[in-house]
Amino acid sequence: MSRKKVIELSAAWFQRLNNPSEILREKMTLFWANHFVCENKNILYVQSYHNMLRKNALGNFRDFTKIVSKEPAMLAYLNNKQNKKKSPNENFARELMELFTLGQDQYTEHDIKESARSFTGYNHTYKGEFIFKEKQHDHNEKTFFGKSGNFNGDDIIDIILQKEQCARFISEKIYTYFVNENINKKHIDEMVAVFYKDYNIEKLMRFVLLSKWFYEDENIGTKIKSPIEFLVGINTVVPYKIEKTRQIILVQRLLGQILMNPPNVVGWKTGRNWIDSNTIVTRLRLPSVLLNNAEIAYSEIGDEETMITDFDKRKLRKNAFVKVSTDWNSFEENYKKNSNKELVHQIITSKINTGTKEMLERNQQLSKHDFVVQLMSLPEYQLC
Amino acid sequence: MKRRGFLKQSTFASGMFFVPQFLKAFENSSMKPFSNKKVVIIQLKGGNDGLNTVVPFNNDIYYQQRSNIAIKQNDLFKISDEVGLHKSLQPLQDLYNKGFVSIINNVGYPNPNLSHFRATDIWQTASDSNEYLQNGWVGRYLDYTKGNPYSAIEVDQSLSLMLKGKSQNGLAITDPKMFYDSMSAPFFNNVVTNYNDAHLSEHNLGYLYNTMIDAKSSAKHIYEQSNTKSTFAEYPKNIFGKQLKTISQFINSGLETQVYYAGLSGFDTHANQPGTQERLLKVYAESMEVFINDLQKNNAFEDVLILTFSEFGRRVKQNESKGTDHGTANNVFVMGKNLKKQGLYNNLPNLGNLDRNGNLKYEIDFREIYATILDKWLAVDDVAILNKSFSKLDFV
Repeated sequence: MSRKKVIELSAAWFQRLNNPSEILREKMTLFWANHFVCENKNILYVQSYHNMLRKNALGNFRDFTKIVSKEPAMLAYLNNKQNKKKSPNENFARELMELFTLGQDQYTEHDIKESARSFTGYNHTYKGEFIFKEKQHDHNEKTFFGKSGNFNGDDIIDIILQKEQCARFISEKIYTYFVNENINKKHIDEMVAVFYKDYNIEKLMRFVLLSKWFYEDENIGTKIKSPIEFLVGINTVVPYKIEKTRQIILVQRLLGQILMNPPNVVGWKTGRNWIDSNTIVTRLRLPSVLLNNAEIAYSEIGDEETMITDFDKRKLRKNAFVKVSTDWNSFEENYKKNSNKELVHQIITSKINTGTKEMLERNQQLSKHDFVVQLMSLPEYQLC
Repeated sequence: MKRRGFLKQSTFASGMFFVPQFLKAFENSSMKPFSNKKVVIIQLKGGNDGLNTVVPFNNDIYYQQRSNIAIKQNDLFKISDEVGLHKSLQPLQDLYNKGFVSIINNVGYPNPNLSHFRATDIWQTASDSNEYLQNGWVGRYLDYTKGNPYSAIEVDQSLSLMLKGKSQNGLAITDPKMFYDSMSAPFFNNVVTNYNDAHLSEHNLGYLYNTMIDAKSSAKHIYEQSNTKSTFAEYPKNIFGKQLKTISQFINSGLETQVYYAGLSGFDTHANQPGTQERLLKVYAESMEVFINDLQKNNAFEDVLILTFSEFGRRVKQNESKGTDHGTANNVFVMGKNLKKQGLYNNLPNLGNLDRNGNLKYEIDFREIYATILDKWLAVDDVAILNKSFSKLDFV
């Protein structure tokens, strides 16, 4: 029941990404979902976590991190609610530094132990409200990054954020996500100078999006789109809606990114990791599948979470027509002034392989529908 | 052979640019496989309960800790005075008696991680438990041997970290015909044949085109090669049986692939474990029996080593719902024709000496098994691939 609701919420998120009221906030929500990676099966906790991400997506990183540490989904996911004075669990303490704030090799095992002690007693009610269990908290003195005191979790986060490395770690991640996978140290230094002052995410994003280098050629059309960026991108050209929730998830699964279902605590591996021999073929076929009612073939497999009880009934090979409604009228309207030739540069931002360019020139006489589907079926369209 | 000779000739005569680009990746790479040995890796996904698979039927602690899920003596077939295998593994009994099975007990690693995903990553990358690697041990084997994409095949929908290398990935295929068909659309031909910007090779765009080209040339090769031989053996009609059937078809048709990876899901038995595990182990054993007999009939078994692992074992003490929770060390099955040590490789775990979570303390690092396979079976430099030196075992 709860599991089904989580899938519905995931599908609703996908629809929202396709029809955002605030584009930047949506993009940032997706970014943070792959930073503060978390997964849960309880719909209440999942919903609470998801809404929290959207609410804080452009807020203050300090508050954000503290709120994350108290969310029921996170307390469960990284075992912080099992972290008790008598039996500390270091899972959250470790990932807080390694994945959320500082990156690898910025702390010692001793720091992790002391941090874990400070977070003891964190828990939540059945309904998901945060509670602090005094009796399970370790009230003795802790020494963390050279400072001593009777710290709690919030104190630990404050001490971590005193390190400029935290601002740098987050800046690099945002740069990789929004600008270029190849880090330019000069640009990062500028970002750190803005972000370290007060950890205001909106200010940082404003700085990045208004900087000159954001628009330089070397930063355009070089990044491999994530599956969600790819799917949402098609929708901005030709609006479409996948009718069945199950098929929304199927398409995401075939591409390797199911919303609300990260592969592990590190999150989705991005960049070239999105592409293997299967996903590239699926990507190049998908515009025809979504917009031209083509058939998609896939074979069924089990995953860790499904307890397969009846093997014989499961089909081993499937062909599916993804049921989609498309809004070609909007496309016609939006692009009515553009020739096929002009469409090329509106749809594709990367440089184009010369042989492909010649092929596109030969195909100029295709109908606008066919031509745009062809454009979105190119390797070049995978880049943004 | 002639065509390849011609292509090589023309390469020397007129430069790379006259070779159709889509043949490039394929024809340029080393033609001979590194050795004729093959490894088939099977993962029992979800964490199989090793203690109820290889059962210490004389151990009081075992029966005390598992009052209503312990396997009774007459539900076992005994392989020693103390050890019996779950009755669902009966189809393997004949193979076991012939010495084709070696059971390595108590395999794990320091500071175990009890998450499925993380533990699977650790097994797939051969990392330490606090180390996050972006490539897998089989992927690094591909890098090292400069293998083709199809040198390592995962029979699955998407490619696991295990088969991803720094410069070369393996392939994920469930059905060679479907894979081939899906890439035979004229559109893909167009895309692939039009790729001619050699200077893009370092750019992400070059990576995209090259992945496509690799996939296309591999799909064609695998389809044509594996079509030469169709298997007549009757495999159980389930997903796992289908996976093994595909692998045997590849092996028996002489495909140059050296590593195969497949898996059987559903072992995460937190509740009502007995029925589920019984059914899953049956699926496993029945398919494996057909698979090994099929390989033997085709004189291929000699060159195949089969490794079965699970990302972790389960806690010694059962839980309140007739199930078991995530644990640590587990047994690993090695199957092959000329095993140096047959039957039980080492003693069963000591149930009286557990860690503070009530879990087994491992005795053999899983990477010692990898190192042994790399060094003694595949004859490559295991240290270069595992990034560390591990002592070798003597099952092969």
